[in-house]
Amino acid sequence: MAEAMVKSVGGVLARQGILVAFLVFMIGFTFWNPRFIDIDNVFGVIRSSAILGVMALGVTFVVIGGNLDLSVGSMLSFSAIVVLDLHENPAFGPALAIPAMFAMTLCLGALNGFLIGYLRLNSLIVTLGMLSAIHGLTLTYSGGQNMDIANQSATWFDVFGRGSALGIPVPVLIFALLAAFLGIVLAKTPFGRKVYAVGGNGTAATFSGIPRARVVFLTYIISAFCVATAGLIQASRTMGAQNTVGQGLELEVLAAVILGGASLLGGSGTIFKTVIGVLILGFIQNGLLLAGLEFYVQFVVTWVIIILAVWLDIATKRGKLWSPIA
Amino acid sequence: MTCMTKLSLACSTALVAFAGAAAAQSVTIGITQNNVGVDSYQTTYEQAFIAAAEANPDVEVVVLDAGGDVARQIAQIQDLIQQDVDAMIIWPTNGQAVIPAVREAFQAEIPVIITNSNIAEDGFDFVRSFSGPDNVTQGARAAEIMCERFTELGIQDEAQIVQITGQPGYTTAIERAEGFENRLPEVCPNVTLVESQPGNWNREDAQRVMEAFLVQYDDIDGVYSGDDNMGVGALNAALAADRAGDITFVGATNFAVGYDAMERGEYWGSIYQSPVDDAEAALQTALDILAGEEVPFLNYFDTPKITQENMGEFDRPVF
Repeated sequence: MAEAMVKSVGGVLARQGILVAFLVFMIGFTFWNPRFIDIDNVFGVIRSSAILGVMALGVTFVVIGGNLDLSVGSMLSFSAIVVLDLHENPAFGPALAIPAMFAMTLCLGALNGFLIGYLRLNSLIVTLGMLSAIHGLTLTYSGGQNMDIANQSATWFDVFGRGSALGIPVPVLIFALLAAFLGIVLAKTPFGRKVYAVGGNGTAATFSGIPRARVVFLTYIISAFCVATAGLIQASRTMGAQNTVGQGLELEVLAAVILGGASLLGGSGTIFKTVIGVLILGFIQNGLLLAGLEFYVQFVVTWVIIILAVWLDIATKRGKLWSPIA
Repeated sequence: MTCMTKLSLACSTALVAFAGAAAAQSVTIGITQNNVGVDSYQTTYEQAFIAAAEANPDVEVVVLDAGGDVARQIAQIQDLIQQDVDAMIIWPTNGQAVIPAVREAFQAEIPVIITNSNIAEDGFDFVRSFSGPDNVTQGARAAEIMCERFTELGIQDEAQIVQITGQPGYTTAIERAEGFENRLPEVCPNVTLVESQPGNWNREDAQRVMEAFLVQYDDIDGVYSGDDNMGVGALNAALAADRAGDITFVGATNFAVGYDAMERGEYWGSIYQSPVDDAEAALQTALDILAGEEVPFLNYFDTPKITQENMGEFDRPVF
């Protein structure tokens, strides 16, 4: 009986190593500074993680499908700048600016998906190229100027970033709803299973009659949709944006997805675990800030913790800590 | 185009009148900028520089942009040497890496003016003048603005403040923080600076840092940010936490968003640094040197204090 208990605890540990790591951090930081689990702080962290989180949901699809998307950071800058600019354009206004921005961002995602899915180009190269190309596009569009909403009290545009419903900040709500929806799509629908199949074993997927190109194409559309949503939250939260607002986010997003246990080789990962990965990143950054550590130290500690977490996750899966390449 | 027409007109008139010798009346100045388009300040600087040059019929300019790339800037400096410009203005992409190229220009006897942010001290021997803002003074002035405000509010003996700095390692960020931290205890010895964290010149980063500060400290009376863009991020965080009313926000490089927030009474003060003044000062420094005038090595243009009280004297920034 007791042995069975130990085994099942061990089983949970093995399956949810990342969750355990998350709890360890949370408890550790709380001892360090009790304000860490202050309800305002917790909501604050989740709210500021929402932008990264929404992006990570889309990238999870791309990664499970066996590809990478490094263009999401630039794409976020693009969508934030575009939505703010159109918002200020009297011909558009907020109600039209948002769908127009979504359409433009989805076009970029479609271009990614076309190049990778239908022309079978390497996703690392394509999205790395798009990272620079979209940055250039954004600068061309804005002429290098910051975009700001001039009359902030006269618009309802701030609701996505600053509003709250039922006492929950809207960004958190959007993140939660989108995570639930995409989680169901990935886990419970035929499309979701096709994404796993394409990323896990492309050849087998082809022989099973799965249209690989279309599946890959759609993962990039989902990614672009998520980025557009994140861009909307970002623009609404700061009511203004620099051309470089998303710079460097692509790596943080990827870190969160990998931290959640998705394999870079494709075929594994879940939305739930990505959400945990995002929260770990958010709480680490917040915890280190609250601990009052020097910035340089924070950088080092963040990545030490990420690598430790990944190790813990892998080690629990393998059932051993030491496993050299044989 | 009009500039070119004017210039050629001026040149040909001069040629007719003085037969060749007068070609010296017109000067060619080359500029290689850091990264136009990366932010509004640099974009406006370039426009102002070209406008100032066009307004002066005796000046022809070669305007180049390094796009933030050191290697490209070095190549551009070498190009300008080949073109044998009369003077060269450089906005360094990297204060250390451009020195060898600056030395080549020096050896080619082309006067070099550094604009906006200075190169490292090793290169000073090859440079005729630095034209730009004095960031240490800007930091010091921000400390004075903060202290004067606390004195008005009667909290100069108990106030606690936090600082949000620019990108770590960036000279402007270091100098402003240094000016602020040195001056504050001189004017307000009892104000405590409880913590500094970088906001990386990024509004979203500054907002996140400020959210953590608000959780960590129950009592924050003032926030000093390395520029207004970050300052507005901090303000947004405080507004969301309903604590902005208790906090005096002071920044630097007055941006339009900062100016507007001052107008709404949410943001207290900043340092007015105009890219137009910056560009015009650089061009004027070059012209003064070519005219053989004595120019100080550190040729700062003035960056005055701006607060809610005197903002009427300043135009809304264009960036």
